[in-house]
Amino acid sequence: MSSVRLPDTVDLLARARTVHAAIDAADGIAPLWLATAGKGGAGKSVLSGTLARILARRGHQVLAVDSDPMPGMSHSLGVTEPAVPALLAAAEKPEGAPWRLRRGIGPARVVRDFTTPAPDGVRLLQLGKADKDGLAPVMGAFHAFLHVVHRIGDPPSLRRWTIVGDLPAGPRHPGAGISAYARLYVVLVEPTSQSALTARRILRLAREHLGADVLVVASKVADTEGRERLERLLGEAADLEIPADPAVQDAERRGLAVIDAAPDCAAVRAVQRLADVIEARRVRAA
Amino acid sequence: MKIAVAGKGGAGKTTVSGTVARAFARAGHPVIAVDADVNPMLGISLGLGMDATESLAAVRQDLDHGDGGHEHVATVEAMLERYGADAPDGVRVVVASRVDRPDSGCGCCGITADRLLGELESTGRTVLGDLEAGIGVLARMGAGSLDVVLVVANPTPKSIEVARRAVETAVARDSRVLIVANRVRDDADLDAIRAVLGEHDLVVIPEDPVIARADAEGVAPIDLDAEAPGVRALVALSERLAAQAA
Repeated sequence: MSSVRLPDTVDLLARARTVHAAIDAADGIAPLWLATAGKGGAGKSVLSGTLARILARRGHQVLAVDSDPMPGMSHSLGVTEPAVPALLAAAEKPEGAPWRLRRGIGPARVVRDFTTPAPDGVRLLQLGKADKDGLAPVMGAFHAFLHVVHRIGDPPSLRRWTIVGDLPAGPRHPGAGISAYARLYVVLVEPTSQSALTARRILRLAREHLGADVLVVASKVADTEGRERLERLLGEAADLEIPADPAVQDAERRGLAVIDAAPDCAAVRAVQRLADVIEARRVRAA
Repeated sequence: MKIAVAGKGGAGKTTVSGTVARAFARAGHPVIAVDADVNPMLGISLGLGMDATESLAAVRQDLDHGDGGHEHVATVEAMLERYGADAPDGVRVVVASRVDRPDSGCGCCGITADRLLGELESTGRTVLGDLEAGIGVLARMGAGSLDVVLVVANPTPKSIEVARRAVETAVARDSRVLIVANRVRDDADLDAIRAVLGEHDLVVIPEDPVIARADAEGVAPIDLDAEAPGVRALVALSERLAAQAA
């Protein structure tokens, strides 16, 4: 399989900060660009899919960004995974040159025409899914994805979009790469040793390395014992809590978006409270 | 014999790896456990505890930063010798990847997770690799480098879809595949996994509160209760693998 080398971390960070500063100076209000991070199975896709739908219902223009080369976010958004990523058609590879966006296609056009429509008006930008040949069959989509993310703040029209990103499992993506563009990390943590250790690693990277704003969200908390254990394992209390909810498990096993399968369940109501907190923070940031 | 454990994040790869490694060692087989996850956690399931697991990862981190007087080593065996740790029952464990790099390899000594797992000698001992979530490391492994790939699947469409991709990837590399149907509560759960992955050999690990409690507390399931149904199923899996290797 062909390998992809991302630009150096430091350059990415510097570029991301430049983009953020330019947007803030121009518009005076920070765009809502957030990414969910956490251990595999913590509930990142469920949270980001549900949050994207809730924010869209509140009037945000939402771009859901799925940077995980494994399946996940589309189920939780309530769309069928396209067999071929829509983004592939936006890429071209000239003879002897690297993959690029096709002539005349920029980030705004990609968001409009090469993303997958999801319920409530959400658009889903997907990097493409790896198979036995790795990312080789979707390499064009992969590169188009990177081009779009690196230029996401360039067109003024896109600066007003709310971006909800779903990161691959573990700490390395918050440590580097395109996730540097996120302005808020929602770090999801279950009351288990492995999940807490992962969250500690992610929080350290996000705070010290990226200097990013962070919300710690406890996931699948069943009782007081779980809440206390999480705080002990993590070394800090969560900002917000999503309760353990059989409705989520049930929706997951049926392959449905929980916001469609059980719109009034306790977990969805908790994500609504998270949306309140995120929107309130945004006003403060302005 | 060389074994790798793959699957979706949260499917139970690390629990399966740690418990199978301990069971092999208890049965008298020498075991090298390779934590090939960029989010190294294998120490917890092996029974090293959270703090020792974190310091094992930190040594790997310092190695690349040039901190703490750690020197690079030229071979994977030397890395295992110098930077590995001893877990209970005589399992030797080594961490392959740094935590904070998008590219998991060390730019200096070039030892990546796939290289470490690929090059470690497996004659006369069992090398067991706990892979990162998804199929990245598996896709970078050469043909014939893994004897068996344990693909861990939970009864959810996402987990089954990742498992299906892992199976294809393993088969394309001439590895034998064994499906580990994990967290199975009832026939409907098992049927969901069998419907997609049923043509391959499959072992069932029942949903087990002991395993959940072990993960909550950060201890090895085999230390918490070796007779729990989920743990016994994993011990039986190790016996099956050992019998096939013999």
